[in-house]
Amino acid sequence: MIAYLLRRLVTMLVTLLVISALVFIIIKLPPGDFISNQIDELRSQGDDASTAKAEMLRAEYGLDKPIWYQYATWVGLWPGPHGLSGLLQGDWGWSFEYQVPVRDVVGSALAMTMIVNLATIIFIHIVAIPIAIYSATHRNSIGAHLATFLGYIGLATPSFLLALALLFYLNRWFGISVGGLMDPQYNEEPWSLAKIGSVVSHLIVPVVVIGLAGTAGMIRRMRANLLDELNKQYTVTAKAKGLPPTRALIKYPFRVTLNPFVADIGNILPSIVSGSVLVSLVLSLPTVGPILLQALKMQDQYLAGFILMFVALLTVVGMLIADLALAVLDPRIRLGKRGA
Amino acid sequence: MMSLARTVWMACLVALATSLAPARAETGLLEQPFFKERVDKGELPPIAERVPRTPIVVDLDDRKRTIGRYGGDLRTLAAKARDLRYITVSGYTRLVGYDETLTLLPDILESVDNQGDRVFTFTLRDGHKWSDGEPFTTEDFRYYWEDIAKNEELSPSGPPDIFLVDGELPKVEFLDDRHVRYSWSKPNPRFLPSLAMPRPVYIYAPAHYLKKFHAKYSDPEALAKKAAKKKLTSWAALHNKLEDPYGASNVDMPTLDPWRIVTPAPAQRFIFERNPYFHRIDAAGHQLPYVDRVVVDIAAGSLFAAKANAGEVDILSRGLATTDVPVLKQGEAAHDYKTLLWPIARGSAFALYPNLTTNDPVWRALLRDVRFRRGLSLAIDRHTLNNALWFGLGTEGNNTVRPESALFSDTNLKQWANYDVDEANRLLDAAGLTERESSGTRLLPDGRPAELIVEVEGEAADLIDALQITAEFLADVGIKLIIKPQESANLRQRSYAGQTVMVAAQGLDNAIPTALMQPTELAPVRQDNFAWPKWGQYAETGGKAGEPVDDPGAKLLMDAYDRWMTSSETSDKARAWQELLRLNAENQWTIGTVSGAIQPIVISNRLRNVPNKAVFSWEPTAMLGAYRVDEFYFADEDDAGPSQ
Repeated sequence: MIAYLLRRLVTMLVTLLVISALVFIIIKLPPGDFISNQIDELRSQGDDASTAKAEMLRAEYGLDKPIWYQYATWVGLWPGPHGLSGLLQGDWGWSFEYQVPVRDVVGSALAMTMIVNLATIIFIHIVAIPIAIYSATHRNSIGAHLATFLGYIGLATPSFLLALALLFYLNRWFGISVGGLMDPQYNEEPWSLAKIGSVVSHLIVPVVVIGLAGTAGMIRRMRANLLDELNKQYTVTAKAKGLPPTRALIKYPFRVTLNPFVADIGNILPSIVSGSVLVSLVLSLPTVGPILLQALKMQDQYLAGFILMFVALLTVVGMLIADLALAVLDPRIRLGKRGA
Repeated sequence: MMSLARTVWMACLVALATSLAPARAETGLLEQPFFKERVDKGELPPIAERVPRTPIVVDLDDRKRTIGRYGGDLRTLAAKARDLRYITVSGYTRLVGYDETLTLLPDILESVDNQGDRVFTFTLRDGHKWSDGEPFTTEDFRYYWEDIAKNEELSPSGPPDIFLVDGELPKVEFLDDRHVRYSWSKPNPRFLPSLAMPRPVYIYAPAHYLKKFHAKYSDPEALAKKAAKKKLTSWAALHNKLEDPYGASNVDMPTLDPWRIVTPAPAQRFIFERNPYFHRIDAAGHQLPYVDRVVVDIAAGSLFAAKANAGEVDILSRGLATTDVPVLKQGEAAHDYKTLLWPIARGSAFALYPNLTTNDPVWRALLRDVRFRRGLSLAIDRHTLNNALWFGLGTEGNNTVRPESALFSDTNLKQWANYDVDEANRLLDAAGLTERESSGTRLLPDGRPAELIVEVEGEAADLIDALQITAEFLADVGIKLIIKPQESANLRQRSYAGQTVMVAAQGLDNAIPTALMQPTELAPVRQDNFAWPKWGQYAETGGKAGEPVDDPGAKLLMDAYDRWMTSSETSDKARAWQELLRLNAENQWTIGTVSGAIQPIVISNRLRNVPNKAVFSWEPTAMLGAYRVDEFYFADEDDAGPSQ
């Protein structure tokens, strides 16, 4: 087990290193750099941005250095102007766009992102699991058909469209301000009960919108898995031996259907941070998604690079956790080499 | 006692300065409730000591505006923190600035003495102070000139190019605390207009604040430490970052603007508070601005219309588009705001830019043929475009100045801009495109079909719509138009490199110019003009990159432009402008279609002194800046009177 863990950790490190190189190269691929992008953007808005300071800024940000040097100092493999200080040393770099360390930009956004996405994941599970169980055990009933129908609608509706419609009507009917994660006036206030209430009321739209497609997908998968198990002989045997119906359902078939979801942790963990970019953008949520998009567009390379690396880290960690959890949940699964 | 004497004296002065103003001026200056507590505690001097001894007394009556009242938060939106610069633009406080009639007047300066555009003597206002209460003097100009502009570390490429006349820098004299003089041996007509731009050239800086970060005045080692703390490599980088009068990113830097930022980034909501030392007052003794705070919420651009519809803004212009008007109108009654529809002062809402310096030799020759350009122009049915895309509200014609400008001429608007397919066909035939393939598309001289690839910014939906309609018109005369949407940075790169054949974009940025404004958009002097990027490069880099102008028609443009640059007489400048406009219309260097697209502006019904109808532009009006946002005020809740 320990040998397995160590082996996994080493692979993870190598994977992350390869990802970091790929991420950096892809960010740098488009023509120009942050400075030229910024000047272009200002000019296209009519702003007569001067190029006079461009060279100076380029030198200041180290954008005039070769790409391998920029990469190596970012990761912390090579000493930069401030010594050996990069991701490996816990320095996340500098955001050109916001003019503050990446840590300060991402910090509060990360917390908000996690709140939104955790709420969404909880919403998905709370809604999807009972519906899935119901529609699997009551096949061909009206309720099951209705659930299926709603599920398909949920899958098919473009989330951003639904988001805009919900925003509009919630504002009109309940006076909830449009977009954001709280009423604008709370932005400058310290945390209070009213502020939390405002956040909760603003969570409704994003959670429902982001969660809808996920819920529908989850209902379909869960239902299919459960149906497979319900027809298996052990379930029939359990029922024949007189186990109460609920126990016969929850104790054995339900547990087996959970396996795919545990395996899913590897995907859920990164999506806590990077999920829902489009909806966040439409709803103007102060989450990581819009920041990442803007950073990529402007080639704010260290900010974009850090967010992508963070997501990558969550993915590999999530995979590891999923593998370990599966082994605990299902004794049939063995870790390590085949046949070992 | 002193302060009372000063108040009385102030009041007299105010009365003197405004012989037309109502007699209420004798009541003296009125303290803002916003500052009352701080004044009572002694943290802030009383208003009489804060306003300069010679303030600007704004004449509200003259412009049919009313005396306002203090107070209120002006709520608006920005898409990102960097867009806070729009507050600096709208606050429109400049050394010299344009008023509504686009007359250039002293603003921060008390007066400007201009001798033949060669010698400029500036007089500062007596007792004018920065927003932190420190005096604003010629030391701030000296600091900028000697310690910033001429410092090799802070300005590696030397002072900004408005200071250069044929490579000559001005002689700068600091006569005393309140007088500074810039003199050149040849005229420099760009100097004053550059100071009045929406993004001005700042030729002064708060010396008392910035000296703390300048190696000449402070301990370099301590500065290096401060810089390293902010992840910067040198004191110069730190100084550069802190000196940001335009971007409003530094809450500690004093300003002369009506509002100063108090919220450090990053934030979701930025607050600007009134500048206690602002230099404009009204005839009743109110120090402007009337509004205490400007509150800027950060929101996605796609939500601007929805948020305005929900009544979450008091003023909003930038970021709203014609397509938003139905949504905006719909929320008016419920949320107590109105939607003003102002024409946008652009030469054309949709214009085609044939790239005269494109790499493809066949296209280059063809695009330089005036018959081809005129043929394309005549083939476009501008009336249909206007009806389909701009509710028929636009003005059909060339990419030229608008009727509001004194330089406007009807001929320049209409020449070669009518819809005449037969004449278009004749001109295209004459340009050598006589052969056609079976589908009816003309063939280029080298046998390729005449497929005109028009590149356009992918996010500009209205331009793409217009192109789709235009493609139908051009198909009628045998030209196949292919639309190629691009990412904007990519589009610019391709244009600079000569890879574009034609670009669709908006027309002239400044379509309400006066003769004193620099005609940069009409002559091949800028590489960001899609019609002649390489000629522009050549002019911008002084011949190090790009290509020299080698077209006889375009050379005439350069001649006229040079005449503007070297003349000091307004009438000569006006003639140069008219020559440039005439040449542009005749030659169709850019093919304009419809101008006067609508800018929706959302204004709270309680906000007063906002003109109902005016022209919207970036340059020269600085969005709403020239209409003096500091004079807008909130009426009482129960005041239902119409604004003006």
